[in-house]
Amino acid sequence: MGNPLLSFWMRLLGQDEDPGPRGPSRRLRRRIPMASAVEAEATIFLVLRRMRAPLIVLITIFAVSVFGLTLVPGQDATGAPYRMSIFDAFYFMSYTASTIGFGELPNTFTPAQRLWVTATIYLTVIGWAYAVGTLLALLQDRAFRRALALQHFTRKVKRLREPFLLIVGHGRTGELLCHAFDALGRRVVVVDIAEERIDALELGSYRGDVPGLVADARDPGHLGVAGLRSLRCEAVAALTDDDEANLAVAMTAALLRPDLPVVARTVSPAIAERMQAFGSPTVVNPFNRFGDHLRIAMRSPASYQLMTWLESGPGAELPARGRPPGEGRWVVCGYGRFGREVTADLRAEGLDVTVVEPRATPPEPADGVTTVEGSGVDPAVLERAGVADAVGFVAGTDNDTTNLSMVSDARRLNPSLFVAARQNRAASAPLFAAMEIDSLLVPAEVVAHEVFAQLSSPLLWRFLQGVPQQGDAWAADLIRRVTADCGRRMPALWKIRLNRNETPTLLGWLGSGEARLGDVLRDPERREDRLGITVLMVLRREADGTEECVMGPDDDFVLAPDDELLLLGATAARRGLDLTVLVDAAREYVQTGRRVPAGWLWRKLSRR
Amino acid sequence: MNLEKVVFGFFVLLAATLNFGFFIGDISNPALHNVYELFAAIVVSLVATVLKFGDRTQIGAVHLATSLVADLQLVAAALAWTYAAHIAATGLTPSAMASVVSLSGGALFANVVSVVLLVVETVSYHRR
Repeated sequence: MGNPLLSFWMRLLGQDEDPGPRGPSRRLRRRIPMASAVEAEATIFLVLRRMRAPLIVLITIFAVSVFGLTLVPGQDATGAPYRMSIFDAFYFMSYTASTIGFGELPNTFTPAQRLWVTATIYLTVIGWAYAVGTLLALLQDRAFRRALALQHFTRKVKRLREPFLLIVGHGRTGELLCHAFDALGRRVVVVDIAEERIDALELGSYRGDVPGLVADARDPGHLGVAGLRSLRCEAVAALTDDDEANLAVAMTAALLRPDLPVVARTVSPAIAERMQAFGSPTVVNPFNRFGDHLRIAMRSPASYQLMTWLESGPGAELPARGRPPGEGRWVVCGYGRFGREVTADLRAEGLDVTVVEPRATPPEPADGVTTVEGSGVDPAVLERAGVADAVGFVAGTDNDTTNLSMVSDARRLNPSLFVAARQNRAASAPLFAAMEIDSLLVPAEVVAHEVFAQLSSPLLWRFLQGVPQQGDAWAADLIRRVTADCGRRMPALWKIRLNRNETPTLLGWLGSGEARLGDVLRDPERREDRLGITVLMVLRREADGTEECVMGPDDDFVLAPDDELLLLGATAARRGLDLTVLVDAAREYVQTGRRVPAGWLWRKLSRR
Repeated sequence: MNLEKVVFGFFVLLAATLNFGFFIGDISNPALHNVYELFAAIVVSLVATVLKFGDRTQIGAVHLATSLVADLQLVAAALAWTYAAHIAATGLTPSAMASVVSLSGGALFANVVSVVLLVVETVSYHRR
């Protein structure tokens, strides 16, 4: 700043720019740095700069050749002295230099001209080879290709006209999640640090186009390019296998877009705590979640079955209902992060636990926990741990081979054992399936299911939160109702809000206070039949802002305006319901049994 | 002293001077406008354009734009000359010559803007 007076005033008053409302609206407007976009532009400028020398060499060679050719004396057909014009010389040089070679035009050359042309042929070939070679080398350049890919990706994300989900990390979890959301018809944008995992996107056979970027998500600029600043970004899921990176993503999202829901994966409670310090991200810890699920399954196997089914996404097979033994002693092999979490959950259920751990770790002073030192692969150690008279066994090391051999040894000692195991690698899945594990933890799937439940629909998440309190019989009944309608594969799951936009025809009926759920769900083709739709939950909003969740309402439940419904049913049934809520004639038939003409002309005629 | 700046300034200025040299003189008299001067002006102008590639500053972008305009005008002038001298039956008439020179006059204007930009850049460099 040249003017000292100006800088003085700026220093005095310049801070005025900053304070002001620090609400989300202001935060939203804050520019997210686009470092990587600038990088891409810089690379393209670099390419232009590198092309300078070859282009100038080419221009010079051409200029010298053409100029020389116009000076060298020649002859025309009659032998009279003749000099080529600049135009003729340029034409000749153009076809000679590009190795097309039409011959000596417009007249046969004199030896002097041929001498000059010989020199220029070599010159121009060198010039062209230099220019084309440099250009090809630049196109092969890694940095240049990455810059092009980044620009392509940026354009794709900018052109997304639908709400999308930003997924960081396209490992096993990310892939499962991408497929689940793609099946729902939702758009996703993927960022991953590994090139082969982004390449896997193209082989993933998604229905929608999934833009993918190879970049380090710890850089906020990359997240900005991936659409973090876009108003269409609905949520951010940080699913890399690096806790530190997930923390960075959760932090970036919380600081730059505090209004976005964030789901982050971690296996470390310490990182989870640090994530919670920024905004309110939902932290998914697969180990912790497995223990919770085990407890729910002990108390109410049907609730657990229902929850796993709904979390698996559309098309999933109804899982088998197994009941972990709620009384007796459990043996936990491997006392790492996973072992600790499971032990704590088992203790919370009041069960005795024997921990088998090869390293001499000082066991926490907890009553009911006994420690046996040694490797779980050794049958003698398992015997010492008392597997023979235990009820449950957890194989929880981070090595699949160890887990499988422990399970097999433990079963030999005690065939009636309830076995839970941790599967670390996707490739081991067939082996674990062959062992018929009673309760299998696949961390990648647990995280994917959890994130799916949270982000696919807030209503589903509330429903799942409410399921354990409803009791075993209620859940079993709900499963029976759903399977009776739609079979054992999970049908479509959707929500509908009873308002002017989504259900224009129902408003009058709802207002009358007589809209029984069973009546609304009649088939608009044959009202004696009921559509194969199960209502999982009704969310009722009272005028004073309180919300009430009605879990699994029966057919006598009376709907009210502005209720939100979570529905489960086949696609055909969904279309039937859509007909009822959108077409007045169908609604009239469903409500009263009278067939009214749908068209304007027929309505006029029938009124007469 | 920066060699790149010397070369850059040299070509920008040379493009303008050659262009001026071709342009000056009675607009419709072919004897006053040398075809080699037009040729040299085009070549130097092209080199100046390439030299301006890849400059990311705002002033660099304007430099490139003026240079592209000058190239366009000069190439149009060369085409007009070629048409008149080789293709049209009438040959290089005063009116054809006038259109060639006036096209190069447009290029001269763009080159002058280039030189002004160069001067502005140099002056602001000293003040910084």
